[in-house]
Amino acid sequence: MALRPDEIERIAEQLGRDPTDVELYAFDAQWSEHCSYKSSRRFLSRLPTTSPDVIVGPGEDAGIVRLGEHAGATYAIVVAHESHNHPSQVVPFEGAATGIGGVVRDVLCMGAHVIGVADPLRFGRTEDRDAHQRYVARSAVDGIGAYGNAIGVPNVAGDVYFEEGFDDNCLVNVVALGVLKESDIIHSAAPRGADGWDLVLVGKATDESGFGGASFSSVTLDEDDEEANKGAVQVPDPFLKNVLMRASYRVFEMLRERGVVAACKDLGAGGLMGCSAELASAGGYGAEIDLDRVNVAIDGLPPYVIAIGEAQERLLWAMPHAATAEVLRIYNEEFSLPQLSHNARASIVGRITAEKRYVLQHRGVAVMDVDIDVLTGKIADDLPYVECIRHQPAGAELPAVDVERVFPKILTHRDVCSREPLYRRYDWAVRGTTVLPRGAADAGVLAPVPGSRLGVALAVAGNPRYGAIDAAYAAEAAVLEATRRVIAVGARPVALTDCLNFGNPRDPEQYGMLASAVDGLARAARELGLPFVSGNVSLYNESAGGSAVPASAIVSCIGTIEDVGATILPGLQRAGSALLWVGSRELAAGGSVLADVLGITSNLPEISYDAERSAIAIVQRAMSAGVLLSCRAVGDGGMLTALARLAFDARAAGRDLGAELDFGNPFCETGGFLCEVSDDSELNLTGILKVGETIDRAQLVVNGTAFDVDELHKTWSRPLEELYR
Amino acid sequence: MKRRIAVLTFPGTNSEDETLRLLRDCGGDAYLVHWSRAEMLSQYDAYVLPGGFAYEDRIRAGAVAAFDPAMEYVIAGARSGKLVLGICNGAQILLEAGLVPGTGELRRPTAAFTDNRPSGHFICRHVYAKLAVDPDRSPITAGLPAGAVVPAYASNGEGCLTAPAQRLRELQDRGHVAFVYSHADGTLGEDAIPNGSALGCAGLLNVEGNILAIMPHPERDAWNFQHLERRIGEDALAPSGGAVLFRSFVEAVNR
Repeated sequence: MALRPDEIERIAEQLGRDPTDVELYAFDAQWSEHCSYKSSRRFLSRLPTTSPDVIVGPGEDAGIVRLGEHAGATYAIVVAHESHNHPSQVVPFEGAATGIGGVVRDVLCMGAHVIGVADPLRFGRTEDRDAHQRYVARSAVDGIGAYGNAIGVPNVAGDVYFEEGFDDNCLVNVVALGVLKESDIIHSAAPRGADGWDLVLVGKATDESGFGGASFSSVTLDEDDEEANKGAVQVPDPFLKNVLMRASYRVFEMLRERGVVAACKDLGAGGLMGCSAELASAGGYGAEIDLDRVNVAIDGLPPYVIAIGEAQERLLWAMPHAATAEVLRIYNEEFSLPQLSHNARASIVGRITAEKRYVLQHRGVAVMDVDIDVLTGKIADDLPYVECIRHQPAGAELPAVDVERVFPKILTHRDVCSREPLYRRYDWAVRGTTVLPRGAADAGVLAPVPGSRLGVALAVAGNPRYGAIDAAYAAEAAVLEATRRVIAVGARPVALTDCLNFGNPRDPEQYGMLASAVDGLARAARELGLPFVSGNVSLYNESAGGSAVPASAIVSCIGTIEDVGATILPGLQRAGSALLWVGSRELAAGGSVLADVLGITSNLPEISYDAERSAIAIVQRAMSAGVLLSCRAVGDGGMLTALARLAFDARAAGRDLGAELDFGNPFCETGGFLCEVSDDSELNLTGILKVGETIDRAQLVVNGTAFDVDELHKTWSRPLEELYR
Repeated sequence: MKRRIAVLTFPGTNSEDETLRLLRDCGGDAYLVHWSRAEMLSQYDAYVLPGGFAYEDRIRAGAVAAFDPAMEYVIAGARSGKLVLGICNGAQILLEAGLVPGTGELRRPTAAFTDNRPSGHFICRHVYAKLAVDPDRSPITAGLPAGAVVPAYASNGEGCLTAPAQRLRELQDRGHVAFVYSHADGTLGEDAIPNGSALGCAGLLNVEGNILAIMPHPERDAWNFQHLERRIGEDALAPSGGAVLFRSFVEAVNR
């Protein structure tokens, strides 16, 4: 249990008596960091969360932004961002799979069809053949693939870094997208008039799996507790989820046809108790649940396991009784849940009450009876923290680089080389809506509304090499990079999500990093005019020895596209076009792959929002003028890596193209864009440097040194083949 | 009057929506039919089994679904000459049911799509499937030009055709191997085969030619927006190469 003695005292004080066993477990879950955000909420309010595009901001299971109009209806994109770090470190396959499973339910329960997922991953170093990190890095990927593939949701974006700082604590973040009409949103709060409504529990039979998951993820992992920790990890069932999703789509349709308003919420941390209490209290109601009516996998489960266990693949509906029979028929008969998984079903387990109590009945006894506002009320841990410090001193001036020697080292670097061996296990084409698949460009693009040209782009970012140096800088850079990636495919960025992956908040320095990172996110988002619409906080990412992960504010950016036909296509398009570098040309390599390869320290590139906005404006102007042929955001490995990717993508599409390029140090990661344009006369050349031209042979000629694109491609493709063979 | 096509789903199917959409785009009068409503299947004139993981691919891909009561209707329909198209998991189900190649007893498969080689795991990759029989060998392929190259996605863990050597020869010699993996220009090569499939086989016909089991998904490269080799300025919603197979199927159903 994660509750501290002083918190137990506080519970007794508020109840006016000692809590029952069930109540104690319930508060343990609700007051965990995972559910309550008790040490992070004070910072999170600093994030901007509104814009004309936002329909639902943070606070529900997922955020919702406007996509566009089609056939007289307004469509919207639903997005959720979650982490499953602790479970994935202990049991990586199941932990990562249930990460996908959970975030998909967050999107589903808003009434949406789930259209895509992304997986930002941070693993330890895997060079040692016997390392546990290899097992984690492989199994987590297998788990993500197995789950996403089976439910039929394409994996369209993601990234992966392999750094020592994640040796003891991997990070498995997951982002999911959904689509719906704005008029069809289902909220997770019981609406006005819900007094007496049925609470309908749907899905897998409740078992002991995942009991204590919320509090487990809110403490430091201790290897000595390995067996107990494994028990706290949930068991994924993507097969059942596949059917549960489709049955729920049918229920959405039926409710819409009958004009029935209902509320729906995913069962996640805190299980049935957490879900039902939050659904009811968010509407100003109470709830009463009869635990004997919960479909269980085995008899004799103690009431606190039935109430709080985190068995997967479950949803809770609140709906007027008149609609319930048809909903039960759809789940139990048309989609035959009880035939597919032992005792899976939809059933009425309780009701919404006007009286604001939260009551659990078990065998005729009220095993929990508390003021619902005390249970779900906001609590805060105002812990002390210290101002975040930059961990790397300024470096000396950059040495001149020998491109011939350094370029292959950059391309084979573990954070730059091809990710295909990893993502080819993911189905990124299922649903038939993928416009830019995983790995084809800086962002994944989907055409989520059948028959419409509307598109949505999704990209993630969060460079842990920056995080190891400066938490705030890393957070700002993550916002900028994710946004650039979405712009590079031709989308208009509309919203951000974040997951704050940090160490122990009781360590004032770690806690200070969290505070600074949130400030960094807020600053960058405000400067770019973007809102955060969904997010998650994962703390205690440290080993028992006390070493925490590098500060990791991982960000996703969602962009919208009016016509997917205007998406910037992958790869160089034709010979004889100009290559422009749009962005800062500062010679700084702090936190870069180049610095790692050369073993040097260097200044972090300066972040200038004026320069960033002007770079974005130039790219967008090139696009609307119709002269932008291809584009890449400059990130890990610098501009030359971006150029190599453009050449590789042209090669994949059967175009033998290359480029001649002149630029002193093409490996600095100072941001910006590398653009192939057919005509640069229309563009205001301030902030633009012409760095080269495309040529009609598969060669990159850099400062006079020629590289064969096929050879470079082989070099870049190989490093992860062995790990993900 | 248009003939009606049933897109049959099992628990675990995941490609039904795009399959249905493409059939309709190609002029088909198509509907989803869930396994729990299998008795409705006899009212339909043709069947399409879409991709996914029916019954979680327990035992082997398609092995459990082949025993689902819904398959009785598919078997009866196929025997009466109705056209049947199985894609990916749907193809695996048709082989497990013994309908394709149809040279043995029902539900005693004589060939199977098994674990991808050499990887042994799920692979998602863009591929080309080349028509390797005379188009008139089957009404389903009759609308394709000879040697047609159909772009598609191989997205499966078990796509490697496996059978004893003698049987493979028979499949080849008797015109069962309807599609083979190729390059975009129709040339053949080991590097065009994503999964080690014997004979480079991407699709098989039954003896009579009214049932086609194809592993790669043409419905995932059937509109320009899905086609990565599209050119700047091409209409995103216009059909791309994968649509031709569905169009040929729909024409055959309505003929």
